[in-house]
Amino acid sequence: MINAVLVFNNNGQPRLTKFYTQLDTAVQQRLLSEIFTLVAARPPSSCNFLPLPPLLAPSSRTSTEHNDAPSLVTYRHYATLYFILISTSTESPLALLDLVQVYVEALDRLFENVCELDLIFNFETLHAVLAEMIVGGVVVETGLEKVVEGVRAQGRVAKRPVNETRGGLSQGIWAGR
Amino acid sequence: MFEKDIYQLIRGLRAHKGAERDYIHQALAECRREVRTTDLDAKATALLKLVYLEMFGHDMSWTSFNVLEVMSSAKFNHKRVGYLAAVQSFRPDTEVLMLAENLLKKDLGGTDKATIALVLTTIPHVVSPAMANSLLGDLLTRLGHSSPAIRKKTIVTLYRLALVYPETLRPAWPRIKERLLDEDEDPSVTAAIVNVVCELGWRRPQDFLPLAPRLFELLTAGGNNWMAIKIIKLFSTLTPLEPRLVKKLLPPLTSIIKTTPAMSLLYECINGIIQGGVMEAAEGTMEGDEVARLCVNKLRAMLVVEGDPNLRYVALLAFAKITSSHADIVAQHSDVILECIDDPDISIRTRALDLVVGMINANNLQGVVERLLKQLRSAGQAPITADPAQDRGMHSGIEPLADDDDADMQTTIRAKEAKSGQAPPLPEDYRTSVIERILEMCSRETYAHMNDFEWYIGALVELVKQCPATTGIGSFGSHHEGSAKEASSIADAVGDELLNVAVRVKAVRPEAAAAAQSLLLFDRREEMFPAAGSGGQGVLSPAAFIAGEYAALLPSADAVLTSLAHSSSAQLPPRTLANYLQAIPKVFAVLTSDQQAAWTSARRTNTTLLIARLLHFLEPLTLHPDLEVQERAVEYLDLMRLASEAASNQPTSEEGDGYAEPPLLLTQAIPSLFTGMELNPVAAAALRKVPLPEDLDLDEPINSDLQMLLQQADDDASDFDSGQADEVFRFYNDKPSAASISQHHQKPAADLLLDPPSSAQGSRSSSYQHDAETSPLDRAAAKARQRAERRERYKDDPYYIDPERDGSGTSTPTPMHNILRSANGEELDVDAIPVMELKLEAAPAEGERSAAAAATRRAPLLGRKVPKRRFEIAGDETLEGGVEDDVVSAAAVNAGRTKAAAATAAAVSRAKKSLLEVDSSGLSSLSLSDDAGGASGRNGAANQLDIERRRAEEEEMARAIREVERLRLEMQRAQERIQPRGVPEEGTVVRRSRRKKVKRVEGLAGDGDGDGGEGGEVTKRKKKKKRKEGEAGEAGEEVVEVEEAGDGDGGGEGEKEVPAKTKRKKKKRQVTFEEA
Repeated sequence: MINAVLVFNNNGQPRLTKFYTQLDTAVQQRLLSEIFTLVAARPPSSCNFLPLPPLLAPSSRTSTEHNDAPSLVTYRHYATLYFILISTSTESPLALLDLVQVYVEALDRLFENVCELDLIFNFETLHAVLAEMIVGGVVVETGLEKVVEGVRAQGRVAKRPVNETRGGLSQGIWAGR
Repeated sequence: MFEKDIYQLIRGLRAHKGAERDYIHQALAECRREVRTTDLDAKATALLKLVYLEMFGHDMSWTSFNVLEVMSSAKFNHKRVGYLAAVQSFRPDTEVLMLAENLLKKDLGGTDKATIALVLTTIPHVVSPAMANSLLGDLLTRLGHSSPAIRKKTIVTLYRLALVYPETLRPAWPRIKERLLDEDEDPSVTAAIVNVVCELGWRRPQDFLPLAPRLFELLTAGGNNWMAIKIIKLFSTLTPLEPRLVKKLLPPLTSIIKTTPAMSLLYECINGIIQGGVMEAAEGTMEGDEVARLCVNKLRAMLVVEGDPNLRYVALLAFAKITSSHADIVAQHSDVILECIDDPDISIRTRALDLVVGMINANNLQGVVERLLKQLRSAGQAPITADPAQDRGMHSGIEPLADDDDADMQTTIRAKEAKSGQAPPLPEDYRTSVIERILEMCSRETYAHMNDFEWYIGALVELVKQCPATTGIGSFGSHHEGSAKEASSIADAVGDELLNVAVRVKAVRPEAAAAAQSLLLFDRREEMFPAAGSGGQGVLSPAAFIAGEYAALLPSADAVLTSLAHSSSAQLPPRTLANYLQAIPKVFAVLTSDQQAAWTSARRTNTTLLIARLLHFLEPLTLHPDLEVQERAVEYLDLMRLASEAASNQPTSEEGDGYAEPPLLLTQAIPSLFTGMELNPVAAAALRKVPLPEDLDLDEPINSDLQMLLQQADDDASDFDSGQADEVFRFYNDKPSAASISQHHQKPAADLLLDPPSSAQGSRSSSYQHDAETSPLDRAAAKARQRAERRERYKDDPYYIDPERDGSGTSTPTPMHNILRSANGEELDVDAIPVMELKLEAAPAEGERSAAAAATRRAPLLGRKVPKRRFEIAGDETLEGGVEDDVVSAAAVNAGRTKAAAATAAAVSRAKKSLLEVDSSGLSSLSLSDDAGGASGRNGAANQLDIERRRAEEEEMARAIREVERLRLEMQRAQERIQPRGVPEEGTVVRRSRRKKVKRVEGLAGDGDGDGGEGGEVTKRKKKKKRKEGEAGEAGEEVVEVEEAGDGDGGGEGEKEVPAKTKRKKKKRQVTFEEA
């Protein structure tokens, strides 16, 4: 299952934190900064899997193939944002990368050429999209259309406030990695 | 009204660059006010702002009641904020959770789909076992909701419910299964069910075998890659249970591998085939061979493919999973895997390194290690934290800083172009793990793959240079903290390896000593330890030991001694310094003990100067804060003073007539302190084999009149002068006691030197032997202590060396040998410590003890090209029997340990679970088969386990009750002793206990009839769980309860004497008493 979904920008400022277990705010922040430290040190050409941060490092080596402990930290870097998934061994690493892609594409559909500003001001929508895809750590939907539909069904998606200007942005092409 | 909405808050944050902290505090204060207003709009807005700030680490648990208020609003927009706040801020200890239950039930039963969805996504975050029980019914009805979106979320929510409350699955599973088998069900609901089944699957695969046909159908139907991956993952846990599945699965898996465009699905297919054991199962058949070839080729292709590091990473992951079962397959691809240890990506390198350790053989070892060394050398030492921008998160926590670059933030989010991949500096933990791996590879199976130890020593010295600087800069010189930190440093491990080689491989000892010298020499400090801080310092301690122990082999003992006694050495961590102090006299002995050369005035001057230097170094250390250092400094300082005196008193050849002997203290006494038996490696398990003496009773005081003894010692000290002559005589002639050897076994030579074994027994009946009736052990201990005291008294006496020993003192029979021989002879000491005895049993068979006589093992080189040099590697020494026996016993111990670990695993896993872990172990005891609860044939084994565990728990309970009973009896007796019978107090006691008991019996009654039926198991399990998790307090409470109940038994003394056998019995007894 998926244990946590995190989104933060290039400076480590959180844009979304979702933990599927109840965790102290302070511990959440520590985990966030540990992962940011790990992710920020990686050159762009490296793979999308992180070693476990110190907070999650297993206390003892368990030989069993599967267990409930999170063992996989997957990330994807889009422009100014990092998307992080922390999951157990029941998830497939490559499929999780696709899942992040679906998430971002859904956001793009909803915001049209989504950028970090959209996500800052509409973090509620960010949560709503995630809730359409993952409930309680289990993926419920991977179809882009259904996710977008589900979010739209809850009401109009707010755009970024009008007086926040946006620069000369053109096409939002999804160059998937 | 509220002062600002969420946009204004964010905009304000962005406008207050540099002063965010103040701004946030102000905003928090506003929110605090706003959530307390009666206006729901204001409340909701304030809450949303708080949720935003919570993301940055500002706690909002204080407002949980307001969260509840907003959740219960009629407006969906409010609800949405409220539920979001609940998800983000509720913690297990949130008190309003109880109040939320009814609200959740109400919203769940509503008609608005969006609201239901909100509740469904919130429940997994807040659910508790009690709440799960009450929500279960409402959730089950939602399974039949007309909207697929609701149905799929309900299914997942039910799964999360089952994690905290496993009984959920009893009513829910049949209905979920029904949904899964329904072919007309919405595909996304089916996919959600498959996801849940996959999560459940690895816990209890046997329960899901009946679903295989349907899952197979879904797999072949295709369409949803995510679901297909999950199904394959599930099948890989099912195939070991049902071998027939393999044949069925092969065709669709092969076709997926050949046709799918999705790399993730392709990879999971291969992974599933490997992990599910499909390869062996299908071996020999044509399809089997084909699929095996296909998988392995694809994996290999993933490793060599350009431009996608992710594939390389996951391919290595797959190889790592099969390395234990299919070592041959992995070995076939060692060429490409080895390439990966030079990959620019550290994640990939680490994975490859894990694999490489297992693929090392004598032929590729050096090559691989050289490559890793080159990697370490070329990467430079820059730590990753050099960039302050990256480091910020580590120290200050994340603050919602004003965004630096708006333009940047408006960039459309899309995948970043790959920039030039320059080699990054290696992070320290990677560096450490590389060094660890190198050591592991090289020392594997007692250097089985090592051909060239000279090269290895060179590599070890090189590794010292590559040790990462330890992060704690304060560890250098700060004493107590430092030694703790140092204990785990990687440099220690390198040093230990060096020491290990020096001890085990006699042939390269000169090289090892030279390496130790190069590490120790002060002039080369800069060159050897380039890392900032104290990175490689840990190696100094073993290096000092090598230099001391093999001082005769040092290329330049003089230079080493100078470096050891350099004033900067005093700043080293205490553990290292203690080793330095031990090495100093050893090197000194080698430098000064030349017996053949005449005692010329030049030699005398040299020696005196050397001693003066050492005295200068040692003197300040007698005040060192570390006790070990202090003690050694004091000891050797006095030894040096003696040596100094001896050196200056001895007439030189110039003064005397022609040839003059060097002083005996230098040539005989001091060297004999340190030379003696060769140090051999001892097996870790050897100590365990030392049998426990039967008469050993650690509870018994060793000496009952210690006080008197101390007093006596003081008296002796005061009238020391008068009885000096006698005491000196006794001192030198007492028989050595075994206890004294064992007590001082750290430096046996030093002790034994004073006690030549061929002793006169005459002086035994002296005043010190006054307590003849005490046990021999007592006597021996006292004697040892007395001797220590005497030595202290005589420390300034230059003539304390026994002339007898000096006379026969050629180098061969060391004092240790004398002891052994005499102990073996007619003077055999029955109290001798068992360690010595056992060694003696082994020794005669072996003859002279030496490294060569110890069990040796050669590197298995047969059939390979003949190496340049053959090294004998000393194996571990052990007691009774050779290495094999030892290995077996170690294995047995390990096996026992693993077994014990497995037995306690369930209990332990709760205690130390990982941070984000969602515990699903509760599910493993719940059967999902159709006749749930009954012991069907297939689940026989599981149920058996269940029963056994329950029995064990009951036994434990019975034991606890017996203990409580015993304590209660004791207490009651004590009370009876204090209180006269028949006074009103006793009446009070009875009344009180009666009240308590009524309550208890109610609970028990529920328990009692529960045990029979199905529902009973629920309560029972809950109780058990509670106890398992239980803090001490809870356990204590239970004990008290039982105790009270027991008190009520009143005068029935006979009944009390009978210890309750089981909990059940105990309960019944109480119930009957109450009725009576």
